[in-house]
Amino acid sequence: MNSSKRKLFLADVFTVLSYLLIILLFGGPLLWLLSLSFRTTQQIFVYPPSLIPKPFSWEAYIDIFRGREILLFLKNSTKLSLISSFGTLVVTVPAAYALSRFHFKRKGALMITLLLFQMISPLIIVIPMYRYFNKLGIINSHLGIVMVYIAMLIPFITWILKGFFDSVPMSLEEAAMIDGCSRLRLLFKVILPIVSSGLFSAFVFSFLLSWSQFIIPMILVDSNKLLPISVGIYLFEAGRTTMSTHVVCAATLLAIVPPIVVFVVLQKYVVQVMTGGAVKG
Amino acid sequence: MSLTNSTLLRTGTQYSLRNYRYIFSSQDFYFILKITFTFVLGSLIGQVLLGLAIALLVHRGIRRGIIGAEFTRATVLSSWIIPSMAIGLIWKILLTDFDYGILNYIIDSIFGSKIPFLWSPKYAMLSVIIANVWCGTAFSMLILFSGLQRIPDDFYEAAIVDGASSFQQFRYITIPHLSTFIFIDLALATIYTFNSFGLIMTLTAGGPGLHTEVLALHVYTTIFENLHLGRGSALAIVLLIINLVIAIIHYRFFGKDDMVAQ
Repeated sequence: MNSSKRKLFLADVFTVLSYLLIILLFGGPLLWLLSLSFRTTQQIFVYPPSLIPKPFSWEAYIDIFRGREILLFLKNSTKLSLISSFGTLVVTVPAAYALSRFHFKRKGALMITLLLFQMISPLIIVIPMYRYFNKLGIINSHLGIVMVYIAMLIPFITWILKGFFDSVPMSLEEAAMIDGCSRLRLLFKVILPIVSSGLFSAFVFSFLLSWSQFIIPMILVDSNKLLPISVGIYLFEAGRTTMSTHVVCAATLLAIVPPIVVFVVLQKYVVQVMTGGAVKG
Repeated sequence: MSLTNSTLLRTGTQYSLRNYRYIFSSQDFYFILKITFTFVLGSLIGQVLLGLAIALLVHRGIRRGIIGAEFTRATVLSSWIIPSMAIGLIWKILLTDFDYGILNYIIDSIFGSKIPFLWSPKYAMLSVIIANVWCGTAFSMLILFSGLQRIPDDFYEAAIVDGASSFQQFRYITIPHLSTFIFIDLALATIYTFNSFGLIMTLTAGGPGLHTEVLALHVYTTIFENLHLGRGSALAIVLLIINLVIAIIHYRFFGKDDMVAQ
């Protein structure tokens, strides 16, 4: 008994050490970015590189905020992500419910087709889409982008939601229907509250995915005023030289802080997307 | 919706044949294909293995209440949230041989010379794979982790009663149960990696020369830098077909399982 307890203890120690290593590997780059962003131009090239910049400077951040564009980008990103997530849910909830509850022919094939669309990369679609949208007159508009985001998200989100709906037992519905509840009311009053945390997970997931989209907005929007931040930082980088690495770092950090914050706070929900149904761990 | 527009190409019948002929007869094309496959293969191996290792560690930690388990998971997952362009930028800064490239600093202190990660044909592919594995591991880890969660504890308990070593437990319980998830992971990750180019674009821009130019990136450069709409579209179709082939292969492998498993 003693030796197996010891083995367990050693294994635990190993586990914790691995955690440290992993955190270093995955958090390290971000920390370095943070460190670089607080430097002056000369400080970037200090050799040997040190973690904490000696003259701690907000120079980069001041420079960015002076232009005021960054706030616009952030606002655009937020707006696009929120609207897309909400819109996606509106469309996918009924679809997922139908897929989960009703039995109709070709259901399997339908689901596979859905998955197939999932696999089409935005890149392939984007050019024909540009011309298409141009004709429709929605180029350079958030409306166009949102439509594309929603279309992109539908397959995956429907699939996830279906999983959530599946986990609600049919007996519940049958009981309600016997009591004379119509299908629609059933959906809203009974089922949605049960899967509400699942819905929220899907929402968060959609939000995060929309935030990181780059190709779509870059192609569909010409005017700088409408760009989300993911494209914004790219433009930042392209127009600069090495001398302003710290600015690029700062800008990048600003771009990724919102989704990271959202994610850390709502981590439980994001994980739930994959584990489906009940939240474990 | 507009997802079906993929067939709206700017290619009249005559045009398109010319483009395809051009593509298939160009040496560059096959080189690019080779690069693409190397990239995808390297990334997949890296991220699935690493994702599995981390998933196992975190899962164990959560079950046994070890500190830091959830924080570790959170840290790993944050790397996935970052938009691909940003990841390219971040790694560009990390891997550069300018003075602020911290990785090269460490390597220099140990080995006495720097590695030109970003502009040497030999190392460029490695850098791109490293960066991709860095952000892809989280995705694989998430899938495999949820798979691990689903294995009922009873199996393990029964095995322990029967005197199985932890290695045997792993081999006979964990792996079989995970196999569905491993397949899902491989399928999704393959497609995803195949179509990703934001990272490469900001990290090496396909260079040096063509050494990290994957097909997806090539489609982009053909259309936006060379302004060859027709040829670019043809390339895009090739990409699409490859995607479909991969999807079909994966589907054959595990049939309807992937619908049910979720």
